[in-house]
Amino acid sequence: MSSAQFVQYLISGITSGSVYALVGLGFTIIYAVTKIINFAQGEFVMLGGLLSFTLIHSAGLPLVPALIISVLIAAAIGAIMYLLAIRPAKNASVVSLIIITIGVAIFTRGIVGQMLTKDFVRPPSFSGEESISFLGAYIDPQAVWVIGTMVVVTIILHLFLNYTMVGKALKACAINPVASSMVGVNPKIMALIAFVLAAAIGGIGGVVLAPLTPISYNAGVMLGLKGFVAAAIGGFGSPVAAVFGGLLLGVVESFAVAANWGPFTSAYKDAIALVVLLLILLIRSGKLAEEERTG
Amino acid sequence: MLARLKSKWIYLPIAALLAFLILIPFEWFFAQYTTLMIFIGIYTIVTVGLCLLMGYTGQVSLGQAAFFGMGAYVSAILSKTYGLNPWLAMFVAAIMTGAFAYIIGYLIFRLKGNYLAMATLGLGLIMWILFRQLSQFTGGPDGMSGIPYLSIGGFVFDTSFRRYFLVWAFCLAVLLISQNIVRARTGRALRAIHGSEAAAESIGINVGRFKAKILALSAVYASLAGSLLVYNMTIVNPQAFDFLASVKLVVMAVIGGLASVWGAIFGAGTTRILSDEVLLRFGEWDVIVYGLILVLVMIFMPEGLFVKLKEVFQRLRFRYRQRGVAP
Amino acid sequence: MSGSVILETKGLTKAFGGLVAVDKVDLSIKAGKITAIIGPNGAGKTTLFNLIAGVFPVSGGEVYFQGKLLNKVPAHKRASLGIVRTFQHVYLFGNMTVLENVMSGRHPRSSYGFFEAALRLPKARREEEAISLNAIKYLNLVGLGTHAEHDALSLPLGQQKLLAVARAMATEPRLILLDEPGAGLNTSEKRQLSDLIRNIREMGISVVLVEHDMPLVMGLAEWVIVLDSGQKIAEGTAAQVQKDQKVIAAYLGEEVE
Repeated sequence: MSSAQFVQYLISGITSGSVYALVGLGFTIIYAVTKIINFAQGEFVMLGGLLSFTLIHSAGLPLVPALIISVLIAAAIGAIMYLLAIRPAKNASVVSLIIITIGVAIFTRGIVGQMLTKDFVRPPSFSGEESISFLGAYIDPQAVWVIGTMVVVTIILHLFLNYTMVGKALKACAINPVASSMVGVNPKIMALIAFVLAAAIGGIGGVVLAPLTPISYNAGVMLGLKGFVAAAIGGFGSPVAAVFGGLLLGVVESFAVAANWGPFTSAYKDAIALVVLLLILLIRSGKLAEEERTG
Repeated sequence: MLARLKSKWIYLPIAALLAFLILIPFEWFFAQYTTLMIFIGIYTIVTVGLCLLMGYTGQVSLGQAAFFGMGAYVSAILSKTYGLNPWLAMFVAAIMTGAFAYIIGYLIFRLKGNYLAMATLGLGLIMWILFRQLSQFTGGPDGMSGIPYLSIGGFVFDTSFRRYFLVWAFCLAVLLISQNIVRARTGRALRAIHGSEAAAESIGINVGRFKAKILALSAVYASLAGSLLVYNMTIVNPQAFDFLASVKLVVMAVIGGLASVWGAIFGAGTTRILSDEVLLRFGEWDVIVYGLILVLVMIFMPEGLFVKLKEVFQRLRFRYRQRGVAP
Repeated sequence: MSGSVILETKGLTKAFGGLVAVDKVDLSIKAGKITAIIGPNGAGKTTLFNLIAGVFPVSGGEVYFQGKLLNKVPAHKRASLGIVRTFQHVYLFGNMTVLENVMSGRHPRSSYGFFEAALRLPKARREEEAISLNAIKYLNLVGLGTHAEHDALSLPLGQQKLLAVARAMATEPRLILLDEPGAGLNTSEKRQLSDLIRNIREMGISVVLVEHDMPLVMGLAEWVIVLDSGQKIAEGTAAQVQKDQKVIAAYLGEEVE
């Protein structure tokens, strides 16, 4: 492989990895605060993309307002999801909660498919289509937006969690819900914030991704799964770890397809994430089992 | 032991139900619903396995369609491409699927709750990708056709009349076997695991192995159902085994009742009727309705719709009894 | 049998990250006796039980049961060897009746599996009969015979604890570990419990209990071991331990119950 090709695949991997990272951040936030695995996480990304397309194309909104409104709607749906589907379930078992989030996921997917469109959509790129030359490879300027957005979101999230009252409360709730409730942190409000935040981040991922690779109302499943892998690699602990996980997954995927090992044609690209997922789960399962017993 | 406690009155409605079932495929009765009932029977078999898995061990499988599909494809390939006797093919498929599930289960069941769901989701998707990609075996996205019917000697199960009885014979056998398992030592061990894994371990129950066994059982059921599906339609294609298929199976289990054996008929039945008769008229609203069902049922009646209905019915009967009216 | 050592630990240690919960504890539990393990909160008593029961792996040291090394034996195999434990939070099987809970306890003493159950083979039916009869026997032992068909969780706490003991006894143990059996019980329930524990001892079964209730312990225990901050600080008869300076000092640092 020439160095130019190497850079090309690397950039491609980092780009998709950035999206996985954003989805993974969402998973991590919700899990850390509520111990729920939100199977609808991928749908927020899909919403971001489809909403921005619809607002720009059908409603004729200019770019920036359309992006902002799309993210806001995604965040609102996150809030609605928590208030209508999660909170009423009170002390539901793990099984019930999983099924509920899946129900929300397919419900959302169905509504979007019926009300918006079932086709693949591709909103306009933020800053034109001309490829930028970089170290011998070509980058789509939208890819720069994707990677840049991921970096900015991660930094802002870090600042939020560590330097604002709300953020620190969120973090405290994640580390020790009992103790933090005793000092006045309301776990229900924290959960709501976690969902809104995760939905917003997912939506942001969607609005930057869609101009690069067309998405359809079905995109949520795979994106959600890959974001989960990212979060799993990061151990569902710190946001930074999830970002690392996402980038790692993206790069591994990219190079596995590039290397063209045996059956690894692009059709199998998705399977790679799944295999990585299963491997991680198996490796971690030994540690997890011990942790849970002592917890 | 429990059977002896039930009054003799229970046998009357059971006999009536059985008679009803037997008479359906006759022309002068409800023959137009034969095909629908065949599908309900097939899906009931998968649903029972899922109900046992999810209900008694509190684990979620989001990839049950993987086992369903494995049963379908393996028996299709063995009987069509390699000319193996269809009964043998079905048996081999069940063994393979069961063994595969047992190994996966043993590895994965060190995880709890959330992680298992994702793992089965991943597994389901991998299988679906394989079904579509290994075209030299599976016929790719278009699937395979020309799969032979099952037969005993010269008697071929080709008409829908004959296939109906074939499927429901299997279905009732599966239900009875599951009933036996639930009432026995194994069923108690499963319920113990669901009640408290720590306590179950302390009294000698090998939690991991039991979970793997029940996953294997649910996989064997799903595989049998998959084989029956293929020998019923004589074609197979990957459409029936995608993520949505796994979700629909969960809907069936949820409606039927997560820990209920006979509720599985109700779950499979209502879901099939819903999707075939009702929703198809309204375009593709089925996904939306399924999502709504999952959320609402799990919030308001987490033990499942059928089980909840049974409870309501029992409470009404109790109230009647109190007023001195015979049950 | 009496006078011999049924359970032994040598240098038993358990650390969770940087926190050492059990610190090089040496124990020698005599067979056929009632032994109590006491100590202030956080002394590591439940962790010690968890180690003996095999709930998590040891960080160091060994556990011997009837001379056999237990370290590598998984938790679920220990019941058939003869060690059973109860839990502080009871952990009954809420989805079963009282009788079914005890029948579950017969698991290590029965053997038929999926296949025999599925087809209701004679072996299965025979074993089910035996399981039921044995379970009723143990239910009567704790005085809950009349509640057999009730839902397990419909019982008040005191009876739930008795049920848990019945379930544990159904495994036919040689050694039973009771984790705070008296917690949450009133005076008459505690008396019932003491009688039951003495009955169990009469049956030749060794009892080890972790307890906070001093009068209960002092009235029952033939040997008392005191833990503090994961270490064994004293052992002896109830009378000896009560006067031990180190023990008094350890408890002074804690709220009086």
